[in-house]
Amino acid sequence: MTPPKPDPVIHVIDDEASFRRSLIFLLESSGWTACEHDSAESFLASPPTLPATGGCLVLDIRMPRISGLELQRRLAALDSPWPIIFMTGHGDVDLAVQAMKDGAVDFLQKPFKDQAFLDTIERAVELSRTRQQASRRCNEARALLDRLSPREAEVARRLALGLSNKEIGRDLSISDNTVHVHRQHVMEKTGTGSAAELARLILRADPSGLDEQ
Amino acid sequence: MDVRSFSFARLCALLLACWPTLVCAGELRIGVLAWFGDQTAATQWQRLGAALQARLPDTMVQMAYHDMDGLEKALAAGELDFIITNPGHYVVLESRHRATRIATQKIEPDRDSEHAVGSAVIVPSERSDLQTLDDLRGKRIAATVPDGFSGWLTVWAELKRRDIDPEREEVTPVFAGLPMSRVLDKLESGEVDAGILRVCLLEHLVRQGRLPAGRYRVLSPQEPDAPCLRSTPTYPGWAFAAAVQTPDALARATLVALLLLDGRGDVLRWGVPADYHPVHAMLRDLQVDPYDFLREHRLEAQIRRYWPIGAGLLVLLLLWLFYTLRVEVLVQRRTRELSAALAARDEIEERMQTQREKMEHLSRLSVLGELSGTLAHELNQPLATIGNYARSLTRRMWTGKLSDDAVAQAAHEIAEQAERAAGILEGIRNFARKRASERKDCDAVKLVDEIVTLFRGMLPRAPEIHIEDRLPDEHRRVCVDRLQIQQVLLNLMKNAFDAHCAIGRAGEPIEILLAPAGERTKITVRDHGPGLADADGARLFEPFFTTKPDGMGLGLSICKGIVEAHAGQLAAAPPDDGHGLCLSFTLPCAATPHHDAT
Repeated sequence: MTPPKPDPVIHVIDDEASFRRSLIFLLESSGWTACEHDSAESFLASPPTLPATGGCLVLDIRMPRISGLELQRRLAALDSPWPIIFMTGHGDVDLAVQAMKDGAVDFLQKPFKDQAFLDTIERAVELSRTRQQASRRCNEARALLDRLSPREAEVARRLALGLSNKEIGRDLSISDNTVHVHRQHVMEKTGTGSAAELARLILRADPSGLDEQ
Repeated sequence: MDVRSFSFARLCALLLACWPTLVCAGELRIGVLAWFGDQTAATQWQRLGAALQARLPDTMVQMAYHDMDGLEKALAAGELDFIITNPGHYVVLESRHRATRIATQKIEPDRDSEHAVGSAVIVPSERSDLQTLDDLRGKRIAATVPDGFSGWLTVWAELKRRDIDPEREEVTPVFAGLPMSRVLDKLESGEVDAGILRVCLLEHLVRQGRLPAGRYRVLSPQEPDAPCLRSTPTYPGWAFAAAVQTPDALARATLVALLLLDGRGDVLRWGVPADYHPVHAMLRDLQVDPYDFLREHRLEAQIRRYWPIGAGLLVLLLLWLFYTLRVEVLVQRRTRELSAALAARDEIEERMQTQREKMEHLSRLSVLGELSGTLAHELNQPLATIGNYARSLTRRMWTGKLSDDAVAQAAHEIAEQAERAAGILEGIRNFARKRASERKDCDAVKLVDEIVTLFRGMLPRAPEIHIEDRLPDEHRRVCVDRLQIQQVLLNLMKNAFDAHCAIGRAGEPIEILLAPAGERTKITVRDHGPGLADADGARLFEPFFTTKPDGMGLGLSICKGIVEAHAGQLAAAPPDDGHGLCLSFTLPCAATPHHDAT
C-alpha cells in the first residue's frame, strides 16, 4: 500500500452546487483533499498557492459573470502554476478546444465516468508536481548563475556552447589567460565540472538561454 | 226591320193567338190529373164531365187524363182550357203557367172522401215500438213518388216539423211508385217499417174488404174521432183552374156551372176557391217545386249575386296562398342555405380549432426543441450527480472509509437529484402534451410563478426573473387556458432571453409585470435587449417571420392567436425607460372574484 499522499489540493469551481458537492464527495472518497468554490470570483478573492506536493483546478467552462475560460485567462496573466481541468456540457466543444489551446490540461465532457475523472486528476496533480520541481530547479540554476559577473556570464555561455579558450578570447578580445581565470571562477561559482554540465544549468535556468543572440 | 213590317208581324201573331179561341168556341177541354191511371180516373171523373156537359149544352165538354208531367205539357201547349189537379200540383202550375183556380173541391170532413187531401202514416198494428211520427227516426218509410203531394210531401213536411229530416237521412223514404197500393205491398213484404197513404184510403180499402180491419194503425192521428184518421193536417182540396189563355167568359160560364152542380160524390162538389196559402207555406218549407229555387237560392243565388266579391276574395285567397307558399318555400330555402352555411362554418371552425391545437402543440414542441440541447444538459446534471455519489460510496466501501455520515449525505443527495430530474421531466411532459383547450379560473400570479420555475429549470444558468405583482384582489383570478397562457409566457421569456444572448448579456434579468388594465389583467414581459427595428415591429406577429437564424417564426404568431382567443391583444412597445422591448397582453378576469379561495 502506498503511503498516504502528502497533501495535494484539488479546487472544484462550479456554480452548480449539488454537482460540485458530488465531485468533492467523490474526490474525498479517493483520498484527495478537495476545496469547493461556487464562483470564479470567490476563488480569485484569495487565490491559493499551489502546494509543493501539487494540485489542480477543476473548472466548469460555463459560469455566470466570470466564465471558466475567463478565469483561465486571468490566472495565466497572474502566471499561476495551477493546472486546469475543464468540465464542459454537450455542445461546448468549441469552447473546450479554445481552453486546450490556452493551456488546459484536459477537458471532461459531462457526464463523465468517475474513473476518467480521477485519472485526469491524478495526471494533472502529477504534472503540477513535475512543474513544481522544474520551477524549483530553474530557480536554483538562476540563483547560481546570478552569482556570476557579467563578463563571467559571457564566458560561461560560450563555454556551454562548446567554444575553446582561444575562440572565446578572440570573441571577447581578451587574452587566453584571462579566459582561463574567468573559467575557473565560473566552474567554482556554479559548482559544475564540465562545459556540458554548465550548459544543462544554463538551459535549466532559461530554456532559450543558449539561442543565437 | 222597318216600323211597318214590325206592325204586320205583331198583327199576325195576335191573329194566331186568337185563333184557337175563335175556332174552339164550342169546346171545353178539361185536363185531369190521373193518380191511379187513366182508367180509374176516367171512372171517377166522367160524372163531372157529364154533369158539366148537361149544364153547358152549347159546349162540347172533353175530359183528358194525364199524369203530372203530361198535364203540365198539355197545359203549356195550350191544349187545355181547364185543369183539375191536386193542391201541390196546382200551386206548381199556377206559378209556372199562371193557371188560375176558379173553384176548389169541397171535402166534407165527416166523410171519408176519396179526395180528402192529407196523409196517414200507417204501420202494422203489431209494431208497438212505433206510436208516433217521432218513432220513425232512423226507420224506412214507403211513399209513392218524390213529388206526390199526399203520397210524400205532406208527410215530409210533418216529419220536418218534428225535426226529422229525410234529406239528412234521419228517415229513409222508399218510393214504391204509383198506384198507391204499392205502398201496401212494400209494407206487407216487410221491406219498410211504415207507409204513407192518402187520408181515407185505408178506411176505403177496409170498407171495400180489400184489407182486414185492424191490420194497420195510423201514427199520430190528429183528430182521433174523425171518420178518416190522418197524421198530417188537411190541405185545401183539388183545384179547378183555368189556363191563362182561357177566355173570361168561358171561365165564368164554367164556374157558374160548377157551383150549380148538385149531386152526390166528391167530383161534383165544388165551392169558391180556397186559400192555398198552407200549400204554399208547406212547399216553401220543403223547398220543392215551385219553391225549389229556394234551394238554389241558398247556394247558387248567393254565388250568382256575390260572385264578383267571391271571385275577388278567391283571387285574394289564392294570392295570399301563393304568397304564403312562396314565403314558406323561400323561408325553407333560406333556412336550408343558412343551416348549410352554419354547418360549413362550424366545420371550418372545428378544423381551424384542430389546426390551431396542432400548431400550438407544434410550437410547444418547437420551443422545447430549441431548449432541448440545454434540456439534455439539465437532465444530465442530476443524473451525473447521482452517478458520482453512487460510485463514491462504492469506492469508500472498498477502501474501508464508508462512514454512516457519508452514506446519509450521499443518499440524501441522490434522492434530491432524482426528484429534481423527475420534476423537470414532468414539467416538459405536461407542457408538450396534446390537449383540447379549456378555460378555468386560476390565480394569475401562481400561473406566472409556475412557468417561470419551468423556464428556469429548462435553462442552465437561467437569468434572474423579477416578478412584480401590482394586482388588486379582484384582478388576481383570471379565466384562461392555463397551459396556453403559460406557453405564451414561455415564448416571451425565451424571446427576452434570446434578445439578451444576442448582445452577449445572457445573465441580464427579465422583468414580468402584472397590473390591472380596466376590467382585465395585464401581463408584460420586458427585456433589456436591442429592441426592435421599426420594420420588424410591423411584421412581428406574422407567421414564419423571424429575426433568429434558426427560428421557425411561429412562436409569436401562435401567441397572438392564443391571446386573441382570450379576447385580448398581444402588443409590442418600447419601454418607457431605457432600451429593450415590452411585450404585453391582457386576460379576462374570473366572473366572480374568489376572495375566500386564497
